[in-house]
Amino acid sequence: MKKSTIIILVILAVILLWGVTAYNNLVSKEENVNQQWSNVETQYQRRADLIPNLVSTVKGYASHESETLQGVVEARSKATQITVSGSDLTPEKMAEYQKAQGAVSSALGKLLAIAENYPDLKANQNFLELQAQLEGSDNRISVARINYNNAAKDFNTTIRRFPNNILAGICGFDKCTYFEAAEGAEQAPQVEF
Amino acid sequence: MKRCAIIIATLFLIICTNAIAGVYTPETLPKVHLYDKTRYVVNPDGILSQQAEVRIDSMLYALENKTGIETVVAAVESIGEQECFDFCHTLLNSWGVGKKGKDNGLVILLVTDQRCIQFYTGYGLEGDLPDAICKRIQMQQMVPYLKAGEWDEAMVKGVAAVYQRLNGEPANTDTAPEATASLWLLLLLFIIIISIAATKARQITRASRTCPKCGKHKLQPTQSRMHVQENGKDIIRTVYKCSNCGYTVARDEDNENDDNTPQGGGRRRSGSLLDAILLGTLLGGMGHGRGGGFGGGGFGGGSFGGGAGGGGGAGSRF
Repeated sequence: MKKSTIIILVILAVILLWGVTAYNNLVSKEENVNQQWSNVETQYQRRADLIPNLVSTVKGYASHESETLQGVVEARSKATQITVSGSDLTPEKMAEYQKAQGAVSSALGKLLAIAENYPDLKANQNFLELQAQLEGSDNRISVARINYNNAAKDFNTTIRRFPNNILAGICGFDKCTYFEAAEGAEQAPQVEF
Repeated sequence: MKRCAIIIATLFLIICTNAIAGVYTPETLPKVHLYDKTRYVVNPDGILSQQAEVRIDSMLYALENKTGIETVVAAVESIGEQECFDFCHTLLNSWGVGKKGKDNGLVILLVTDQRCIQFYTGYGLEGDLPDAICKRIQMQQMVPYLKAGEWDEAMVKGVAAVYQRLNGEPANTDTAPEATASLWLLLLLFIIIISIAATKARQITRASRTCPKCGKHKLQPTQSRMHVQENGKDIIRTVYKCSNCGYTVARDEDNENDDNTPQGGGRRRSGSLLDAILLGTLLGGMGHGRGGGFGGGGFGGGSFGGGAGGGGGAGSRF
């Protein structure tokens, strides 16, 4: 065998070795993003699961606030219909998902604002604990979202760096969408007196 | 040099005044548990009395011994503009409160200027201490006292309620694997030390048997041994002969050690083996000492196991 052939073979072997390791690294990073995304969905689902209980508790004290209660129930059922799997997280789907969840947040905000007008409801132990659970759910959602964004950032930085960008281009790794803070929808409504 | 000293003094002063003002971050909060494993209360501003601290510590020490749950109770005057929840989140995750994998950490934070009490549970405690229970404990046991500014009463009652809730929960009682893990670690350490010592000893013997001429390890001590007085020292001079090339070399050995053993080679070898074991132990000991502060939690100081949390717990204002 010629010397040049050996050199070429060695170079090819090195490239192949690099390619395999880099590819595996990208795969595990993408899986991490998917896992963090499913965690975000779980936390949103957890909040959705609290809603029926909350609505029925409020109903017992403030039955004539049916419009607000209805709003919460509708927003919830809309939001639970939208599920996005980690593999097809396009910016459009992400925006749609976020809008639906934002609607739930604002409907819940309205409901809790109404509760301020009912001292009996506010003093109810069950309501108080539901409220605490809801708060905990929101906290978990925000932690899960931060974790997802960190994982997405890690993945995006890796696939944009040279020489990983060539490999990512060949193998079809796409940039992950970030969870942006939604305009207005995520903020709690202002209560005016 | 003088200017340098002035700058350092100024910095020190700034740090001191900052500490007096009492604005804490999870980084600047003292980790008392690491210096004394029986202490869990971080009370840098003296909000809680000594007695309350002792009572809370004893409950939490019993809790950790029984269930493995790691707790940090912090009472500070101010955390600046930071949210109580965010503070707890950073504290639990950056300190690693809770055992790794089990994530059974708990942080209880009282901030007097924001008037907030916050519980933060690790992933593994979310089931045993759900948010609703945290809230219930806060509202029933703590807030009435906190409103009146009775910090001691509030914190002791709150921790007692948490202790009652968590103590004897079967989900967290298996601490046995921890013990076997450290036993295995000790065994591993022992093996490493022995192998270092053996290698070292082998190297020394090999070196002493290497022929300077042909490089083979065939040097043998001959019968030719002399006592020499040099610079007031008693020296044994042994002649070694290489069985490969026949090269001879004389080597000196101190004879200050009492016994003049007839088999000089044997004495030298046992001495070097002893040295090597000593060296190996020292090396191993050094490594162990460095790891002990955080991982082992051996002598006096406690440790945090590297637990994580994802936003569990509840908070109340008073």
